[in-house]
Amino acid sequence: MRLRFWGVRGSIPAPGPETNRYGGNTSCVSVTTADGELVIIDMGTGLMHLGNHLLATEFGKGGGKATILLSHAHWDHIQGLGFFAPVFIPGNQFVLRGHGRSSSMLEGILEGQMNPNFSPLYTLKNLGATFDVRAVVPGEPFAVGALRVTAQPNPHGTTTALAFRLDEGERSFVYASDVGYGPDGPSDAVRALYRGADALLHDTTYTPADQARRQSRGFSSYEQAADAAIAAGVRRLITFHYDQDYSDTDVDALTTACRAYLDAHGGRDIEVVAAAEGLELAL
Amino acid sequence: MKVRFWGVRGSIPVPGPSTNRYGGNTSCVEVRPRGGWPIIIDAGTGIRRLGKALMDERFGDGAGTAHILISHTHWDHIQGMPFFSPLYRAGNKLHVFARQRGDTHLQAVFASQTDDPYFPVPLSALEASIEFHELVEGNRFTIDQTVVTCTRLNHPWVAMAYRLDCDGASVVYCSDTAPFSDILLEHEFISKPPTGAPLPRAIADKLASMRASLVALCQGADLLIYDTQFTVDEYKLRPHWGHSTPDDAIAIAREAGVKTLCLYHHAPMRTDEAQDAILLAARWTAKAHGDRFEVIAAHEGLEVVLGDDDGLVTP
Repeated sequence: MRLRFWGVRGSIPAPGPETNRYGGNTSCVSVTTADGELVIIDMGTGLMHLGNHLLATEFGKGGGKATILLSHAHWDHIQGLGFFAPVFIPGNQFVLRGHGRSSSMLEGILEGQMNPNFSPLYTLKNLGATFDVRAVVPGEPFAVGALRVTAQPNPHGTTTALAFRLDEGERSFVYASDVGYGPDGPSDAVRALYRGADALLHDTTYTPADQARRQSRGFSSYEQAADAAIAAGVRRLITFHYDQDYSDTDVDALTTACRAYLDAHGGRDIEVVAAAEGLELAL
Repeated sequence: MKVRFWGVRGSIPVPGPSTNRYGGNTSCVEVRPRGGWPIIIDAGTGIRRLGKALMDERFGDGAGTAHILISHTHWDHIQGMPFFSPLYRAGNKLHVFARQRGDTHLQAVFASQTDDPYFPVPLSALEASIEFHELVEGNRFTIDQTVVTCTRLNHPWVAMAYRLDCDGASVVYCSDTAPFSDILLEHEFISKPPTGAPLPRAIADKLASMRASLVALCQGADLLIYDTQFTVDEYKLRPHWGHSTPDDAIAIAREAGVKTLCLYHHAPMRTDEAQDAILLAARWTAKAHGDRFEVIAAHEGLEVVLGDDDGLVTP
């Protein structure tokens, strides 16, 4: 499978010259499988740029199909939906799987951002593409083509966010953004989800000092991400969801410190990949 | 007074090298009367940096007062609000003004923006005191020494234009609006451009009256900030989206006799180079017509000083 990063920023888009290298768009990652299935994880503002890119494919002609995995419904993970060009082209089909007590509640949450007070689209039903919205049952795998997807909830401040594991044959990718563990670290189910992944994308919103100051927000420091990566024996750790106030230089320092922390704590064999807009990674 | 631009983009924030000069943050303008508290117009992502700057003033001690005038509650005009630092400091006072809605209290609209599951901090948990004020077009009120007047615009779910008079100067904020010629945008969802058939008399009259009210609001203004998201070709495809072209803005500026016209609410995919070209073309259009007013384009960090200003910014 091939990963591509369209938005790597947390909380709110952060435009400006100081974020040009890593990018200022909010969370969005695409995964293309060996047999051509497209999986999109989260719908931050990066989704708009993925959408414009997809117009040159079947999606431009209304023949596109994709699965969207939604970790949770905080704005920075859904705010790109109304600007995703393929949704305006009749014929395109999307299956959206996410966080919600029921499928209808999840659809209602997405409807909430299209409400005419907030959006000129008024309702999801005005989009040309079809949406099949389904709440995910944690721990129950489902198939997307040859891909096997499993989800488990992580604590995230006052709510939870789903982490997703994507297995394709021998290859595996885990997406775990927006995570604030309790004092005991990840749950057993989440530890099992991360176990041995080829790549673990993990929330690294903060430096340890900033994380300690803002613990209630439910985000991780690079140290907590590194600890999770070491405990799970993953091959690569992908840093992600950088704080909106971090400049490119700050993120450089964060990833360098993450490397040093891994080296000092038994994670020397784990490769660090700093997620940046436009970066592609083949697993 | 000073007018400072913190976000100039329409629809959605657009980070990246192609927007470094004009800026990628969504709508937010600060008007600072001489020696007065800030009057903020719209709360797009630009308000985040404004909030940080204000925390260096008395807002950092919980002793600040800000008035926020909202043109309308579409995302790109409110999405920065939860990231406005003065809200998280007890003692600060905020007054939020926006157009009254038929079926929902303004406070409920803002509360639903940050309700679970959309945002971790609900409105009720904010430390600052926030008071909501609902407006109808034609209202006239004062904020300290500033006189505020307003009229409605032609935009889906209806937006409001504001005029602020203070320090012997005036600024009008007119975003978002379609021109007043092809379609009336109110509370119905319109999926397609109009057919081009003549408008029914009642609708044409209503649009003409809205336009006349806007021209009256802009009369003699020192600075007119105007939604010019579209080029003429883009407008032809999407007249039902509720945005104008520089030509529409120039026509209003001419009739109202303003001194400076400021292009604003730039399209998300507009690169800095493309925006430069739009500004040059607009200047040429105005010059070719013999217009006296100056044409400028808003960019993040732009500061325009109007009327009396002694350089004092903090009360």
